[in-house]
Amino acid sequence: MKKCGWCEKRGNGSVTEHQITGSPDHQITRSRIKERLHLCSRRAKAVNLNEIQLVWNTESETGHLHHGAEPRLKDEIAEVTSEIETLGLTEERKSMQRNKQMAIGRKKFNMDPKKGIRFLIDTSLLKSTSDEIAKFLYKGEGLNKTAIGEYLGERDDFNIAVLHAFLELHEFTDLNLVQALRQFLWSFRLPGEAQKIDRMMEAFAQRYCRCNPGVFQSTDTCYVLSFAVIMLNTSLHNPNVKDKPSVQRFTAMNRGINDGGDLPEDLLRNLYDSIKNEPFKIPEDDGNDLTHTFFNPDREGWLLKLGGRVKTWKRRWFILTDNCLYYFEYTTDKEPRGIIPLENLSIREVEDSKKPNCFELFIPDHKDQVIKACKTEADGRVVEGNHTFYRISAPTAEEKDEWISSIKAAISRDPFYEMLASRKKKVSSLKAL
Amino acid sequence: MGVVFSYVFSRFTSNTPVRILMVGLDGAGKTTLLYKLKLSEVVTTIPTIGFNVETVEYKNISFTVWDVGGQTIIRPLWRHYYNNVQGLIFVIDSNDPQRLKEAANELHTMFEEEQLRDVPSLVFANKQDLPRAVPPSDITDALKLSGASRPWSVQASCAVSGSGLVEGLDWLSDQILKRN
Repeated sequence: MKKCGWCEKRGNGSVTEHQITGSPDHQITRSRIKERLHLCSRRAKAVNLNEIQLVWNTESETGHLHHGAEPRLKDEIAEVTSEIETLGLTEERKSMQRNKQMAIGRKKFNMDPKKGIRFLIDTSLLKSTSDEIAKFLYKGEGLNKTAIGEYLGERDDFNIAVLHAFLELHEFTDLNLVQALRQFLWSFRLPGEAQKIDRMMEAFAQRYCRCNPGVFQSTDTCYVLSFAVIMLNTSLHNPNVKDKPSVQRFTAMNRGINDGGDLPEDLLRNLYDSIKNEPFKIPEDDGNDLTHTFFNPDREGWLLKLGGRVKTWKRRWFILTDNCLYYFEYTTDKEPRGIIPLENLSIREVEDSKKPNCFELFIPDHKDQVIKACKTEADGRVVEGNHTFYRISAPTAEEKDEWISSIKAAISRDPFYEMLASRKKKVSSLKAL
Repeated sequence: MGVVFSYVFSRFTSNTPVRILMVGLDGAGKTTLLYKLKLSEVVTTIPTIGFNVETVEYKNISFTVWDVGGQTIIRPLWRHYYNNVQGLIFVIDSNDPQRLKEAANELHTMFEEEQLRDVPSLVFANKQDLPRAVPPSDITDALKLSGASRPWSVQASCAVSGSGLVEGLDWLSDQILKRN
């Protein structure tokens, strides 16, 4: 077996010396890539995707590769790299990474439920079955209830299947209709569209009747009555409805819904009184505030930050989580003053003439570029940051070291991002031909 | 006496309440339209679990617009809300020609409702901003509106940007004022 060329050449050799060539005589097999990478990861504890990318770009730009091999080899490199990445990780780190991805998935879900679910499925954190998705929504940890309602209300067959599976998780046995509805409507925020409410009440009625056989003559009776109860709640409690129905009107409305017959009048009267006395509650949100984001951070503490335009030092409470650095004016603030995404940033120790224990966040190779970040102005407006670097001073040398190592761990060059960048580069170089 | 009183009431108070139903298939843009109709009104409403209902003040008329719909079996429930309805807003997704026929059926089902017999009906040919949108004239044909024995109007709109909404409301409020 050959020695691992990359590790030995690291740091002194030029890129072309570590070529993985795609030309037929040098064609590298998958297992050999794996061997080499494995050695690398053992010896240097580094998965050198960046270097592979670098080699790759050089290769494709100089046209050394024969075309058929390109995408296949590239996919294999990526695949093997990710395999080795997983191999090299301890169980603890693996679960940490999963938690991170889960948190990202939840955030995505709250912004766009469909995209969030797709992300969680793509990252293998969620199985693509209606039962599994329903469980995830029912548990609802960190999820916004309006977003759950949006997902359950979609007209797609798959979403409807999830809606039904979601109802299977609810237990309505021995609850009366309004109690069961209250429980159901607490688990997500009911959307306001009539068609969505219609589908949801139909699914609800099926589950209710299965839990409570014999209460209603047919599922349809239960479905129509449940729909009528939502209409009643709207009429009685929505301030836009001026004309409030009486119990007589509610009873009249439900005439004949029991397979042509009427429902007992005291049942309807009880329903009416219950809704009149206690409207359906707006479900409390789990994913509405930032508490989840700042819960269990990688590191937090007081640091001094040098201003971007005005060079003054301000004391800020910093929180490092989700590959972002957040800073607050007070520890009790709910919303940060500023957010610095760490993606593609680097960190280094620096000497400052005024403050001790300094380090700096910067964009490697782009000294004058403004770092992608945002901050909140005194008047509440959120504006782009104006730092080309962030200089930060820690209270002690130990804290400085701890912050640097935590931030270094958090700065992850996303391999997909790099892959995408190199692919873009390749496309543009092909176009140039 | 009651008649005279309500006449005076509707003629001289600044905000005549009027009930409007809003109908249309899933995804036609009703909700966007409803909230866009509120124009620049700043309102703090207490959120309520239930159907989308909004009041829109326009030309001294207070429109209460209900999002109405659902399968055939729940239609009888809505009939109790058809009393005193003075206008119908029907929203069409102009960019979905496959469902135009279904939309036409829905519209004519509403037209057949006894209590809605003569009610002026405004059709928003929505999503006109999209490149493959069916033009309003074709929508008028597809909905078979020309034979309808009631005032109707088809208004091109884009609920997202709000274009066409004021024109539609203008037509509807004129119709309602004419009747009162």
